[in-house]
Amino acid sequence: MKIEGTHELRAPRERVWQALVDPSVLQRCIPGCERLERTGEDSYAATLRTGVGAIKGVFQGSVRLEDMSVPTHYRIVVDGKGQPGFLKGAGDLDLEERDGGTVVRYAGDVQVGGTLASVGQRMIQGAAKMMAAQFFTALEAEAQVEQGDPPPRHGFFRTALRAISGLLRQIFKRH
Amino acid sequence: MIPAQFDYAAPATLDEALSLLAERPDDAKILAGGHSLIPAMKLRLAQPALLIDIGRVKDLSYIREEGGQIRIGAMTTHYQLESSERLREICPLLPECAASIGDVQVRNKGTIGGSLAHADPAADWPAAIISLRAELVAVSSRGERVIAADDFFVDMLTTALRPDEVLREIRINAPGGRTGQAYMKVHHPASGFAVVGVAVSLTLGADGKCSAAGVGITGVATKAYRAAQVEGALVGSTPDEQTTASAASHAADGVDANGDIYASADYRRHLAVVYARRAIAEAVAKIK
Repeated sequence: MKIEGTHELRAPRERVWQALVDPSVLQRCIPGCERLERTGEDSYAATLRTGVGAIKGVFQGSVRLEDMSVPTHYRIVVDGKGQPGFLKGAGDLDLEERDGGTVVRYAGDVQVGGTLASVGQRMIQGAAKMMAAQFFTALEAEAQVEQGDPPPRHGFFRTALRAISGLLRQIFKRH
Repeated sequence: MIPAQFDYAAPATLDEALSLLAERPDDAKILAGGHSLIPAMKLRLAQPALLIDIGRVKDLSYIREEGGQIRIGAMTTHYQLESSERLREICPLLPECAASIGDVQVRNKGTIGGSLAHADPAADWPAAIISLRAELVAVSSRGERVIAADDFFVDMLTTALRPDEVLREIRINAPGGRTGQAYMKVHHPASGFAVVGVAVSLTLGADGKCSAAGVGITGVATKAYRAAQVEGALVGSTPDEQTTASAASHAADGVDANGDIYASADYRRHLAVVYARRAIAEAVAKIK
């Protein structure tokens, strides 16, 4: 399954990049990420307790960052499995500067199998989009924090509020 | 096909259910008709630690008229809505939508409240509820609040209900005057869910022009949505063939459509336009 999208973050590219390669930031931003441990250079082991609505599962897996080109591009390779199924894939992230903000473009190909794929096939793409939106909304808040300040707090309502205010800003910009 | 272990409670009153839920909002789930939750539990895709069955709570299953509004209890089954003679007279969209859901077993057990609270992206009710501009009454041990249909669906399987809230009632302003309604969907051949479903409620003024329009679309995106541009194009115009077609062409404008193995995102967008056109034409044809 192909997953792709674009998110506009109101934060400078340098800060977005730093956030994207900082495991402690990533752990706070990835929905349901309970553990993200460094296992080698640019390799991590992760535990995700995540889901959408009533559908939840625990996944264990590995994440590897490749083809790093500071501060514009990396490739992320994920491999995970859990009780509801498994997933495996890779994707490219590209960061572009625009009006003092950053446009992040992602495109990847993911294979999902197991129960999740056989009964949840029609929802996987939507769930992926939803989680990507949550991730980038949280990431934006992280990238907006001045260095040295405490990190922002994430939660469903905070993330939702940020998403709404971002949307409003975009709508007003258009008119 | 055996669910993970869970605790089960079947309170006799809504207050009891609410206090149980308030104690464990994070790992308890409300069980209504169980036609989405139980299959997910059997596949272990959902593993709530506590199931609060509100099937024995009295007075959650009703269709009433009160102050110009139709009030539907959350535990009213699809079949009760499908077979209501009174609804067929005053708001035929509801029985029509109910009749298109799943199969007889699903309609006999599944409830409107359960379906709405589950917020499946391909469920039928959300389209109807949005097109009718319904209000949803949520209740918790802290009190009651009313949520507009447009604000209720937040994202896939995610509603504006807070973890300690239960959906209690659905309120719909009874359509007046010369109103026509229709629900048209592409049935998924295996599940009966809507690949695309379009609900239309359209009112004509004395001059034959459309004075009010509601268009709700399900199945296309991660949540059902109001096709505001279609409504805008209809209101104030005479809904002839040409106007209908041009209004319907906006059915998927600006919508981030989902694709799956059965229907690609582009195909869903295409279906939304075609079915919006047909549903509007059908609604107009039904106006007496």
